[in-house]
Amino acid sequence: MEYQDTDTDSAFGFDGTWKEFAPIAFTNLLLTIVTLGIYRFWATARERRYLWSRSRFVDERLEWAGTGMELFIGFLLVTLLFGLPFVLINFALQALAMRGEQAWAGALTLVLLLGGLYLVGLARYRALRYRLSRTRWRGIRGGSNDPGFKFGFSYLWKTIAAYIPLGLLVPWSMTSLWNQKWREMSFGPYKFDAHAEAGPVFARYLLFYLAPVVIFAFLGLLGSFAPTLNAMLEGQDPTIGLVIGLLLFLFIFYGILGIIAVAFYSAFYREAVGSTTWGHLQFSFGASTMDWIKLIIGDAALVVFTLGIGWIFLSYRHWKFFMIHLEAGGEILLDELTQSTTATAKHGEGLLESFDIGAI
Amino acid sequence: MTEPSFRTPAHWYDGKTAIRREGLAVWDGAGGLRLEEEGEPPVTVDLARLRYQETRRHEIVYSAADEADFRLVMPADMPPGLAAKMPAKAEYGSWIDRIGLGRAAVGFAVVSAAAVALFVTLPEWLGPMVPQTWERRMGDAMVGDLGNRLCHTPAGDAALAKLLNEVDPARDKVRAGIANIDMVNAVALPGGQVLLFDGLVQEAESPEELAGILAHEVGHVRERHVMTAMLRQFGLSILSSGIGSNVGGGIITAASLSYSRDAEAEADVFARTQLARSDISPTGAARFFERKLEEAGGESENAVTGWIATHPASGNRARAFRESAVEGKTYPPVLTDAEFEALKTMCEEDDDVEDFDLF
Repeated sequence: MEYQDTDTDSAFGFDGTWKEFAPIAFTNLLLTIVTLGIYRFWATARERRYLWSRSRFVDERLEWAGTGMELFIGFLLVTLLFGLPFVLINFALQALAMRGEQAWAGALTLVLLLGGLYLVGLARYRALRYRLSRTRWRGIRGGSNDPGFKFGFSYLWKTIAAYIPLGLLVPWSMTSLWNQKWREMSFGPYKFDAHAEAGPVFARYLLFYLAPVVIFAFLGLLGSFAPTLNAMLEGQDPTIGLVIGLLLFLFIFYGILGIIAVAFYSAFYREAVGSTTWGHLQFSFGASTMDWIKLIIGDAALVVFTLGIGWIFLSYRHWKFFMIHLEAGGEILLDELTQSTTATAKHGEGLLESFDIGAI
Repeated sequence: MTEPSFRTPAHWYDGKTAIRREGLAVWDGAGGLRLEEEGEPPVTVDLARLRYQETRRHEIVYSAADEADFRLVMPADMPPGLAAKMPAKAEYGSWIDRIGLGRAAVGFAVVSAAAVALFVTLPEWLGPMVPQTWERRMGDAMVGDLGNRLCHTPAGDAALAKLLNEVDPARDKVRAGIANIDMVNAVALPGGQVLLFDGLVQEAESPEELAGILAHEVGHVRERHVMTAMLRQFGLSILSSGIGSNVGGGIITAASLSYSRDAEAEADVFARTQLARSDISPTGAARFFERKLEEAGGESENAVTGWIATHPASGNRARAFRESAVEGKTYPPVLTDAEFEALKTMCEEDDDVEDFDLF
């Protein structure tokens, strides 16, 4: 039986193994090196073909129908349409600076930064659209009719607006961008819908936001015990105490802040996925903060203890993490599911699709 | 009824709905595969139009060339007679599948090594072939008119012109200027423009030191190093955009760095030739490098900062310049004391010189 080793209680399942993935990852690495990186587009397609084919939704596997060639063509287009102008603008920037036109150089830099932010938004949208349009399940696919140019502007202004009140609007900008993006997406005949709210995650965000203050206050308190520490280290060079104190401080500061940041992100992701629907299906994401921390520490350990080679397994780990924590409840009326009518170019899916950034 | 070796249970999707069709896939004895489902009229697909899509754990998925989303899923252990009729599997991509992973990897490695070698050495050939007038126009577009950021006084300009005349053999002189920057540095800019920074002029203890450094920078211009470097930069940025990883980029940077050292050595040779031709003592330049060396605290290359860092080790350079002096010969001074003084005070006395706030 095809699914004997997956958890059939859940709507989603993953039954890949790292032993199956390893030959793919290592040959990809080899070919990417000997082609000076050009093979990486085909490598991505191979990797995804494997990951998708070991993922189950209800009673059928997913299929990745994207090709390396279309990713490569997309990369060439992006290089031509954005990379080249970027190089030219940089030349102009240098020339302006050389001529002492600091005001113009500054203005151009600002335009470059804003344009960059817009493109990041556009690219994220396009990457999601591309992935949905290349995902097959029971012969149907997803996609969107909106090319995402509007979303690029939303991303631009909402990201900037989030930081104006000292960053307090970041949860709002994250959830509203999530909603906006997913409401444009569809799979088969149904659109996705999302109603993520900033309220439920705001407490966690405030924790992250205020943590530095609290940590500083706490460490200040600890600092008052410094004479005790000094007494313990008596006879030693006083700078040793200072260095130990500083290292301790940095460790605590970034350690705690990192954990709180993960706590916020896991809450955000639960809220975002949990308020997303497709047809009569309601999605949810079950990963707790601890699960995320384990993922990150596992990633770090894997990379460090293999002297970097383990890096090629990260995409596998992340996809598995995503699939085993993703849940869906509700009902699917298979008879109603028809093919997506969203636009899809046969060749290369347009431009930025392949500017494929963001989490796998 | 066909023989069992040409039939297998299968399921398929028509690509228009998500409804699963389940039944038998049977070779029709010619070029078709008949999909039979109970209670439905059979569908025949042209075997020539079937495409291999992917292999699952126990299944193989095929698509059809003319219907993008049609999917036929057959067991991986289908009868060999039938398997022989189905399109072949693909794994790495069509080229690599055809010639095999090992041979493809070796072939790609050879081509890549050749590409890197080409991109690193080609500028060496192309650089000198670019007409000087093009380079000048390009340089002017990049650097522009430095205008008021260069120091000018009548006496200083005359002294600089005299110095340049001694070290630049060509009738069409390079453009040289003293930039109002308080750093011990000198540069050859695109477009055949040479700048001595005021900080370096202040540091110089004799006009011969300045003559040596100026001759070195003129050497860069005359040997077309700037154009070559620009071409190399351009080529490498193309190559590294394809690489997208730091490892390959690091190797290439290291490769090009050795070429920049060669260029520095070449400029030094040019400088020594010019100094000898114009009867200027090379010990000035030697003394300058020796002082740099002392400041850096001995013969350690990495400790030396600024323009000297990308240059050959100061100790070797100092020796080469000192040894190029003709033994027992007394060289005439290249500038009078007054002229040297005019260079030293050029930036101070130029009232409307602007600050160079670029660095």
